[in-house]
Amino acid sequence: MTTKEFLKKVLFIEIIKGLSVTLKHLFSPAVTRQYPYKVKIEPPLGTRALHALAKYETGKMKCVGCGLCSAMCPSKCIYIYTAEGEGHQKVVERYEIDILRCVFCALCVEACPFGAIVLTPHFEYAGYNRDEFYYTKERLLENWNRHMGSERGSEYFEKFWIPKSGDFGRRG
Amino acid sequence: MEITEMLWTFIKVFIIVNIVMLHVAYAVYFERKVIGHMQVRLGPMHVGPHGLLQPIADGIKLFFKEDIIPSDADRPIFYIAPVIGVVAALGSIAVIPFWEGFSIADINIGILYILALSSIGTYNVILAGWASNSKYSFLGGLRASAQVISYEIAMGLSLVGVIMLAGSANLSDIVKAQTEGPFIFSQIIGFFVFLMAAIAETNRAPFDLPEAETELVAGYFTEYSGIRWGLFFMGEYTGMFVMSALASICFLGGWHGPDFWIFSHVPGVVWFILKIYAFIFFYFWIRATLPRYRYDQLMGLGWKLFIPLALVNIFITGLMKLL
Repeated sequence: MTTKEFLKKVLFIEIIKGLSVTLKHLFSPAVTRQYPYKVKIEPPLGTRALHALAKYETGKMKCVGCGLCSAMCPSKCIYIYTAEGEGHQKVVERYEIDILRCVFCALCVEACPFGAIVLTPHFEYAGYNRDEFYYTKERLLENWNRHMGSERGSEYFEKFWIPKSGDFGRRG
Repeated sequence: MEITEMLWTFIKVFIIVNIVMLHVAYAVYFERKVIGHMQVRLGPMHVGPHGLLQPIADGIKLFFKEDIIPSDADRPIFYIAPVIGVVAALGSIAVIPFWEGFSIADINIGILYILALSSIGTYNVILAGWASNSKYSFLGGLRASAQVISYEIAMGLSLVGVIMLAGSANLSDIVKAQTEGPFIFSQIIGFFVFLMAAIAETNRAPFDLPEAETELVAGYFTEYSGIRWGLFFMGEYTGMFVMSALASICFLGGWHGPDFWIFSHVPGVVWFILKIYAFIFFYFWIRATLPRYRYDQLMGLGWKLFIPLALVNIFITGLMKLL
């Protein structure tokens, strides 16, 4: 062993280099992002998270209960029950989505001809029991109000899913 | 002994043990913070402001955990093994002089007492490994006990140089003999050997193969849950404090501090505690930096490097005293 190698070993040059690297990092700011206290994550529109049922400007629900979304769903998590309403119209009585089964593929959004179901970018919906993950029609409509608003809703349809009905579901 | 003297000793013991236990609990917290920052991340931040109440939360959690005992474990030994470790570590605190004239027991064989207690502390490891009746614990216990026994020799030998220079094994006398200058300059080899032996004695990185999570689950305390595990940890961290205290007494001058300007008004205990903190920081620093030694490398180092180095140190010190 040459004297240089010997001195390196005896004086722990490399260990001291390692120690100095660690010490340098001790005084540099940490890169942790403290979510959710100091950092809010806002995924862009189009991110597939919680579902919402769309509404017209008047406040009427766009969904007519055709059942295409339920037929398309690969996890079979949408349950639709329709009934006869006044004037012999088809009325959606119950529209339920079991979020725990959903894989967030958005095939239901693609399938809907009226643009009635959308996937909002809201993902912080944790709950304490299973009932909180079984979304009924009322909660889904509420989701629309809360997360898609008015401009966001139309922006969603212009940018992402164009429903098959040619007027972008702007009737009613 | 007179009743007042006994009462006074009792009060001293009570205060010092409480302070040491508080230090041990917060040493765990500071280790997590310091190592976290060295790895460019924050340590605990959630419980209390900047995570300051984390040790309390950990303690409460450990109290409420289920106490699992393996079915074929040797019960009396299983119960007593962690206690031996804590007793050995806490007992060593009795002879440490915090400042001039203050130690719970001022005995003339202070260093010998501490070494003897750490030898008893090896029972902690062996009995825990044996009584758990499981492969990982047994192997971990054997490895740990072999490591601790070999590094005790190196530690004792490195302290012989200090005893030679000070002329006595009484810890207060050793500190008083360092009024001109700490022993670290004349005993640099001894200091290095003592430092490495101290890290190996307390089973800390890079000599922590007995408790290496990747190898042996948790080594000899795999089967311990709840507050029994907490006792092991307390014993280990108290051992760290004792070793740091011993290093600062024997090599850095204990409660002496710089004697000029405003520093001479600072009480000795502050310097002592600062030195202990410096060593504890060094423990954390080394843990964050170095990878672990393999077991045969560890044993090779202990016997083939540190013991000869300590012997060389004794030889050189003897020569220096003669001349």
